[in-house]
Amino acid sequence: MLSFVARSANVSSATVAATQTVANGTKALCPAVSIQIERTLVPPAPQKLTTNSLTASLPKTPIRAAASLGGAIQVRFAHTDIQVPDFSAYRRSSVKDSTADTRSSAASRQGFSYLIVGSGAVGGAYAAKSLVGEFVSSMSASADVLALAKIEVKLNDIPEGKNVTFKWRGKPLFIRHRTAAEIDAESNVDLSSLRDPQLDSDRAQRPEWLVLLGVCTHLGCVPIANSGDFGGYYCPCHGSHYDASGRIRKGPAPLNLEIPIHTFVDENTLVVG
Amino acid sequence: MAGVAGKFVKSGLLRVQSNGIIQQSHLSTLRELSVGKKAGLVVVGSLIGGAAGLAYTLDQSVKASGLDLHAPHFPWSHNGMFSSLDHASIRRGYEVYKQVCSACHSMKYLAYRNLIDVSHTEEEAKEEAASIQVTDGPNEEGLMFQRPGKLSDRFPSPYPNEEAARNANNGALPPDLTYITAARHGGEDYLFSLLTGYTDPPGGITLRDGLYYNPYFPGGAIGMAQALYNELIEYSDGTPATASQMAKDVATFLKWAAEPEHDDRKKMALKALMLFSFLISVSYYWKRHKWSVLKTRKIVYKPKSE
Amino acid sequence: MSLVAKLYNNVLRRSSTYALAIVTGAFFFERGFDMATEHLYSEINKGKLWKDIKHNYAPAE
Repeated sequence: MLSFVARSANVSSATVAATQTVANGTKALCPAVSIQIERTLVPPAPQKLTTNSLTASLPKTPIRAAASLGGAIQVRFAHTDIQVPDFSAYRRSSVKDSTADTRSSAASRQGFSYLIVGSGAVGGAYAAKSLVGEFVSSMSASADVLALAKIEVKLNDIPEGKNVTFKWRGKPLFIRHRTAAEIDAESNVDLSSLRDPQLDSDRAQRPEWLVLLGVCTHLGCVPIANSGDFGGYYCPCHGSHYDASGRIRKGPAPLNLEIPIHTFVDENTLVVG
Repeated sequence: MAGVAGKFVKSGLLRVQSNGIIQQSHLSTLRELSVGKKAGLVVVGSLIGGAAGLAYTLDQSVKASGLDLHAPHFPWSHNGMFSSLDHASIRRGYEVYKQVCSACHSMKYLAYRNLIDVSHTEEEAKEEAASIQVTDGPNEEGLMFQRPGKLSDRFPSPYPNEEAARNANNGALPPDLTYITAARHGGEDYLFSLLTGYTDPPGGITLRDGLYYNPYFPGGAIGMAQALYNELIEYSDGTPATASQMAKDVATFLKWAAEPEHDDRKKMALKALMLFSFLISVSYYWKRHKWSVLKTRKIVYKPKSE
Repeated sequence: MSLVAKLYNNVLRRSSTYALAIVTGAFFFERGFDMATEHLYSEINKGKLWKDIKHNYAPAE
């Protein structure tokens, strides 16, 4: 009992010390409480402050800490005899005075750093977008393919009543200069009699010119112009009859002949594609 | 030899030991060697290096390329890091090519559409294209036919095939000019020198019939006769057509043909250098900011004095 | 309160507005930077570019 009281005094001094100290792994173990244990031998103070002599004072074996009621509980390294170094060379001018409140200038300091980083992010986003754009655009059609994607047709070379075939994107392209009689006949067709009802005015931008993709919508044969029961096109493979507007009128084909995108640049120039 | 190569000289790594003490751990495998052996290694090493250097020098000195005249560097207006090609010169160079060079040389990888917004407007390029006849087909009757050229057509070749070209030129093949500045040492400098460098052969050199002397051509004897003479053609923009002017213009045109991306590339360089120099300074600021706590630590040490 | 501090409190402080500011900034920066470099490039190469000689061949446009 007596020994416990004697020891509790030791413990209380140790717990007070524990609230004030900072652990430091590079210093030799020295006991906070003076009790009889084997002491770590500290070498005598070096005569000269060289790297070598300072290294010699480092511990050579792993530092062990033992905790028990009777043993050393903590190591005390806190110094009151060392001045806090001067960091003013590294500080921003608004926080040079270490005694002043720095909260008032916090927004502008952090704002500056965020602004710099943010503007870097803007530049980075621009660079990344350009890079991605370059790679993505490399997937688009190359210039020589695009150059062939459009075909320009001189319309005054095509006499009235004639159907001319061009090769466009590997497919036959029909351009038909329709006569007034054909235009008249096609625009007066009863829509209810058609399999794929479409007005003639929807199919021909200019009534005298009909631009068609010469591929039968049934199984892809090339129809023959100016033949068939309706005066337009006739597919020799399975006997589909199209009229002079390219609409399916008779036979197995389900749809009208396809109209490619085309524009009339001027009076006698047509651009298909 | 492998043993020597495997030696680490004075290298070391920072090794963290279990107790948190950091110290340098030495990995050098040369430390155990005696001074004599080290000296021996040094001698062997310098001998091998010296022998390699000597062999390289000797090899260079016996190359027969010493007799070629290398083209000097000319002050092209597109020499600068951000300098574009001179498009007026490209246009004149096209005229020279069309009226002079195209008689023998093809440019079969260049299409008329490439001229648009480089040296010609779209209408002019269409006109240029329409002035040639292109074999197309087969038509509905299965026959090939001739039609005027379109923008998508490439420049016509003067000869149908290599054999015809050789036959018409004493056995020499006029090279395709599309990528010629990229395919010859010295690029446009070489072309300019070659076109303007025809001289009489020096004494002691006799040329076969049909060969001409040009010191810039490797070997000196070239199958192409001098092609450019003063006032040979008339430029549409009125520039005096001296031989050197034509040589300069056609070299610029061929430079563009070989590197059509030239201008865009330099514009891209301008953008990239500006942007990345900005980004580098930002990343430097950011790095300093993030590391400032670590980098400005100070360790104050009071040696134990007893 | 300085301009930077105002900017910080209103924009840079929240990640959402910060990211939004970067994206919109990148949009305007792209246009401005492209225009500026384009201008600089044509200034460096004045007289040599196609647009400098185009008017000789395509008038009335």
